[in-house]
Amino acid sequence: MKIINNIKFISIAVFGLLLYSCDFDNGTDLNGPSVDAIANNPSRGDIASLAAGVQSDMRVRLGTYLDDCGVVGREYWRFASSDPRFTADLLGSGSSVLDNNTFYTTAPWGARYRTVKSTNILIAAAANATTAGFSPAELSSINGFAKTIQAYELLMNLNLQFQNGIRVDVSDINNLGAFLGYPESLTAIKALLDGGAADLTNGGSKFPFKLSDGFNGFDTPANFKKFNRALAARVALYQGDKTNALSALSESFFDLNGSMTGGVYYVFANSGNDIANPVFNALNSSTAGARIVQPSFITDAELGDLRLNKVVQRDAPLTLDGLTGNYDAWVFTSNDAPIPIIRNEELILIYAEANIGTNLVQSLAAINKVRNIAGLTPYAGATDNASLLNEVLHERRYSLYAEGHRWIDMRRTGKLAQLPLDRPGDDVWEQFPRPLTEN
Amino acid sequence: MKTKLFIKRAFLFFLFMIPLGLLAQTAKGRIIDTKGNAIPFATIVEKGTSNGTTADDNGNFNLKVSKLPTTLDISSLGYVSKSVTTTTGEETITLQEENVGLDEVVLSGLASNVKRANLANTVATVSSKDLVGATPPQTLDGALAGKFTGAVVSSNSGAPGGGLSIKLRGVTSINSNSQPLYIIDGIYLDNSSIAGGLNVVSAAAAGGSASNQDNPSNRIADINPDDIENIEILKGASAAAIYGSRAAAGVIIITTKKGKAGDTKVDVSQSFGFNEVINLQGTRPFTEASVLQFFGAGNVALFNAAKASGQLHDYEKELYGEKGFITNTNVGISGGNEKTTFYTGFTHNDEDGIVKNTGFVKSSARINIDHKINDFIKVSITSNYITSKADRGFFNNDNTGTTIGVSLVGTPPWAQLFPDANGVYPNNPFGASNPLQTRDLVTNNEKVNRFITGGSADISIYRDDHSDLKAIVKTGLDYYTFATRAIFPKDLQFESVNGGDNGVSVQGTTENKNTSYSAFLVHNYRTDNNVNYKTQAGLTKETFSRNSILSTAKDLIGSETNLDQAGSLQVEQTRLDQKDAGFFAQEEVNFKDQFIATLGIRGDKSTNNGDANEVFYYPKTSLALNLHNFDFWKFDKISQFKVRAAYGESGNFAPNGALYTSFGSTTIGGAGLGITLNGVLGDLNIKPEQQKEFETGFDLGLMSNKVNLSFTWYKKQVDDLILNASTEPSSGFTSKFVNAGKLQNTGVEIGLNIEAFDTKDFKWNSSVNFWTNDSKITRLDIPAFNLGAFGATLGTFRIEQGKSATQIVGISETGLKVHGDAEADFQMSFNNNLVYKDFELSFLWHWKQGGDNVNLSTLLFDLNGTTHDFDAKGLDPSGTLTNGPYRTSRLGVSADVFVQDASYLRLREVGLSYNIPKVKLERWFGKSISGAKLGFSGHNLINIFKYNSYDPEVSNFGSNGISTGVEVLPFPSSKRFMFHLTANF
Repeated sequence: MKIINNIKFISIAVFGLLLYSCDFDNGTDLNGPSVDAIANNPSRGDIASLAAGVQSDMRVRLGTYLDDCGVVGREYWRFASSDPRFTADLLGSGSSVLDNNTFYTTAPWGARYRTVKSTNILIAAAANATTAGFSPAELSSINGFAKTIQAYELLMNLNLQFQNGIRVDVSDINNLGAFLGYPESLTAIKALLDGGAADLTNGGSKFPFKLSDGFNGFDTPANFKKFNRALAARVALYQGDKTNALSALSESFFDLNGSMTGGVYYVFANSGNDIANPVFNALNSSTAGARIVQPSFITDAELGDLRLNKVVQRDAPLTLDGLTGNYDAWVFTSNDAPIPIIRNEELILIYAEANIGTNLVQSLAAINKVRNIAGLTPYAGATDNASLLNEVLHERRYSLYAEGHRWIDMRRTGKLAQLPLDRPGDDVWEQFPRPLTEN
Repeated sequence: MKTKLFIKRAFLFFLFMIPLGLLAQTAKGRIIDTKGNAIPFATIVEKGTSNGTTADDNGNFNLKVSKLPTTLDISSLGYVSKSVTTTTGEETITLQEENVGLDEVVLSGLASNVKRANLANTVATVSSKDLVGATPPQTLDGALAGKFTGAVVSSNSGAPGGGLSIKLRGVTSINSNSQPLYIIDGIYLDNSSIAGGLNVVSAAAAGGSASNQDNPSNRIADINPDDIENIEILKGASAAAIYGSRAAAGVIIITTKKGKAGDTKVDVSQSFGFNEVINLQGTRPFTEASVLQFFGAGNVALFNAAKASGQLHDYEKELYGEKGFITNTNVGISGGNEKTTFYTGFTHNDEDGIVKNTGFVKSSARINIDHKINDFIKVSITSNYITSKADRGFFNNDNTGTTIGVSLVGTPPWAQLFPDANGVYPNNPFGASNPLQTRDLVTNNEKVNRFITGGSADISIYRDDHSDLKAIVKTGLDYYTFATRAIFPKDLQFESVNGGDNGVSVQGTTENKNTSYSAFLVHNYRTDNNVNYKTQAGLTKETFSRNSILSTAKDLIGSETNLDQAGSLQVEQTRLDQKDAGFFAQEEVNFKDQFIATLGIRGDKSTNNGDANEVFYYPKTSLALNLHNFDFWKFDKISQFKVRAAYGESGNFAPNGALYTSFGSTTIGGAGLGITLNGVLGDLNIKPEQQKEFETGFDLGLMSNKVNLSFTWYKKQVDDLILNASTEPSSGFTSKFVNAGKLQNTGVEIGLNIEAFDTKDFKWNSSVNFWTNDSKITRLDIPAFNLGAFGATLGTFRIEQGKSATQIVGISETGLKVHGDAEADFQMSFNNNLVYKDFELSFLWHWKQGGDNVNLSTLLFDLNGTTHDFDAKGLDPSGTLTNGPYRTSRLGVSADVFVQDASYLRLREVGLSYNIPKVKLERWFGKSISGAKLGFSGHNLINIFKYNSYDPEVSNFGSNGISTGVEVLPFPSSKRFMFHLTANF
């Protein structure tokens, strides 16, 4: 009997032990901080982390965006032996079309909106920062920064979508704003930039977070505002609003006599968590990964144009999918080379274009400034509006080569039909389809 | 010894049992089998009492009984139990060996066994002989293919070290786990696949598909098949409900060998062999004209020069044409006495792959001890240590032209890629990497050190005439460290300073620990009319923890590979910590072996759910009617006719990360460390998937069970299917997990086993299996969406209401169209075992008919102009284009050329062995060897398929998820030829 009792006792004890050890704590994500925790009452460190994240996120899928613009705009061909869609879909070979559910459409779209969401979280977090002790000027500077970046990210998606339009008000995930048409989207982006500029004016003397090395010279609210106005000038140009373009330029870092390279950049690095330049290819790369110059870039150039340094002749021509090219694109010469967001050379050319029809002297001054730096003689062609526009487009083509402008410029001036076709059956697309997952 | 034991027993019985009066009479005798040999340790029990004994080494027994005449129940494992009425008290009793294991015991609850004859589910059993009898397998899960119905066992590639998926009864889930739960001797085993971080070089998950394409192995490859006694497969919730939330995709229960009392037996086996590739694709038969047309004039000169000097190379043969040497050594020792028995096994496997620098080495040591402390407490311990190392090469998809497969397709035969006299490899002018250099210099290594141990105690608390109660306590531990090492030295063409990372060293370490504890009570109650009630109830608790650190170092110093000898270092850490707890209860009623019904319920909770203390309930019920045992049964020829039905429910957790909306980290120079959204919107309230399965069928046995037919129909429904709903990307999130659908699998499983001949000289046992499965999405609350693979242009999977869950859709001239289905039409297997005197032949054919793959390997060959059938005609319906140009012309127009039929007929295993007759052995070796066998065998020797690539069994995306069967230039699969020698001492 004793033995049974002992055994019964032991069994009960064992069961009891298992029972008592049975109340669980809710699990948490062990592998990252949660959005709610940060947006509801951020610390100074949280705001700094969010802002740094926004700047880093701006670079995500930048390579896909630049390739989309560069390939469709016939600046270069993107050879990739392991992905045929770069030379098939993007160039419209045969009966290929742009697919609304493939990475070249969906990846940049999703990446830019992820940054937009982060800027909205930043704005909401700033509004909810009760215990961090931000001054009104600091809060204003945070808003100015967030709105400017948000406007820029939306503009990049609009550039790919064109007449399909974009959503602009996306802060509430359960109530996303409607799609706005192309002109309305530009208007909304302009409004965001203007709102950001106003915030930056009240933003005090410094940001409560660090800016990346790409913002060197633009890392105070007052200087950052110049970047904001530069973007506004670009948007005004796209709207065809020359007056606003000129007034925005005057508040930006535009300097007719300044360096061509001054401006704001995406920066890259080889170290650790950081990412490398996504559009860099070594010279003489194989079909596995190469950016080969579309031949008309060389044949259409003026003799002695120093901007032809942006392309380098290969040791041997490279062929893929019926395209043969002899020159590598060599704008970005190392895998940590920065990529411009907006720089003075573009501002000078905006100034040139905005003055067409109103101030011939200034327009020519700007054009010739660029030509001079490029080792060319001053412009001596016709000076009617149409010819001047063609000249500005020509300079933009060479000055801003491979920076994602050519396709947009030819499209907004109605000249897509002039872009060269390499193979019978190829097409020049006007825009990318709206991603399948947008209802 | 024997008398002492008996006195002890008698003493105990006297204490606890209702006194049976004076035990005045004796029953004694001998138990033998049909050949006249003794059956040692057979059990003899006085019917209707618990008064019993065991026979000794020679089958002799001596039992004190209450009266004579009396009836004795004799039983022994492997023999048909028998009741003998004795008047004199002296008997020689002969027991028949069992046929086809009807009395075989099968696990039916977490703590109990039931005879197969009484089982209401169709539980597949794979015995040790089925598993390793014909040929030594490479991994345990690979050895299961074609051996039981209701499963798709598919290997992901031919890389040494494994990497397989087992899908029981179709697709169990889209996003959550769809691999079965593995339990070995009561210990929950970890079966993860942990990626080695190769993506940093291959960039596979960059161009449109974000998932793990590193081709890791899975951890079941660590288990040694030679240690296994048998494997039971519970295919769905109707059998596995008792295991709760982790059993939705079925449970595979592995039992390892235990010792047998008696003389110590030593079994030694050694096998040697080699492997070679199954199906090389071949190279395109180039001519000057075809070279000029595709590659241009420059290459024509190179082609002619190479041809003239005999330097045209078949690089595919160079890469995949090795014959890898295989050796397996196995020693098993078992023995013991009536109180303690032990089994120990040592194994060493070493195999080279068909590609240089690949291979798999594994060593395993096991010890299992069972010990009877006294008559009512029995303890057992199982303990296994495994260490293994696999070199898997660098294959599969990439976006950088660096994997060996992708680099090969771009390399025409006139490329000169061999190293010179100093061992310097030329750069490959046709691609980003020199595949020979990559093969020789890149390391992709996985190392495992694993310790699996468990203990259990069986305590008999109470025993009398009609009932007994026992408690079972089990604990288990599965601990391993898994280290991956992927080194890409800077000498490689693609790592050179200008274009590459200047050397990459990716090292990962994972430490994983699973523990499990359970305690049950089992109570049996027998009435006098032979109605048996078995009740069991218990509690279980499991913990799972993992810490995975993956470090990627770039810009290495010289030829160093340590992580600190590098210019840049990036670290990723992932942790997992889960606890589950649950209870279960089950009641089984057995009415005279005629009618067996069970009813059970499992409840469990887990920290994997949003509310960690919410309990989810999973009931089960089943009924088996053994019509042949009923009184009205008059058909003598039909020895068994059982009708059965079973129903059960189980659950499946949301995938890791579905609950939370979190930030990841990111860096940009100057601004420092930032936080970034990872694009997935979490939901704390997400519910686990709920599976309900119903199965029914019958088992028919004819001619005293020489012919057995088993038929089952099942329907498996998964509700609250967790789907990765695309959110509109403009929200900032591209996806979120929601409970938004219902998936159904129905199918039929038929098994026919015939013991055609069973004479002294010739035995032939044959079984034929046939099984089908059809899946359907019966409800979908979100819009239909594509997932897996690489997009509709190339063929992708699509989840759509009313359609098969595994349909493959793609673009076509008329819009999005269904091009195929990954599910097979049916599968059949044909397993035979023939014995003629001393020779034994076994072979297993496996036929899978239907089921499509998305084959992108051929496309990549075509785009580079190197496909073997580029210039052949036959694909173009209009007859104008040859195959290569035709396929590329379809790119962007229709995905039909990429969706290909993956049917196959394989001779999975064949083995011929010769048992050296005892007479010869005695003459040569005296009495020291009791048996010896030598034989030849092979694995996958004959493979018949129309599929236009290396092997239709392939998966670029690994084991889990729906997009298995997509291929992008994998490590080719191989066949094995083995010679083995076994000796028993």
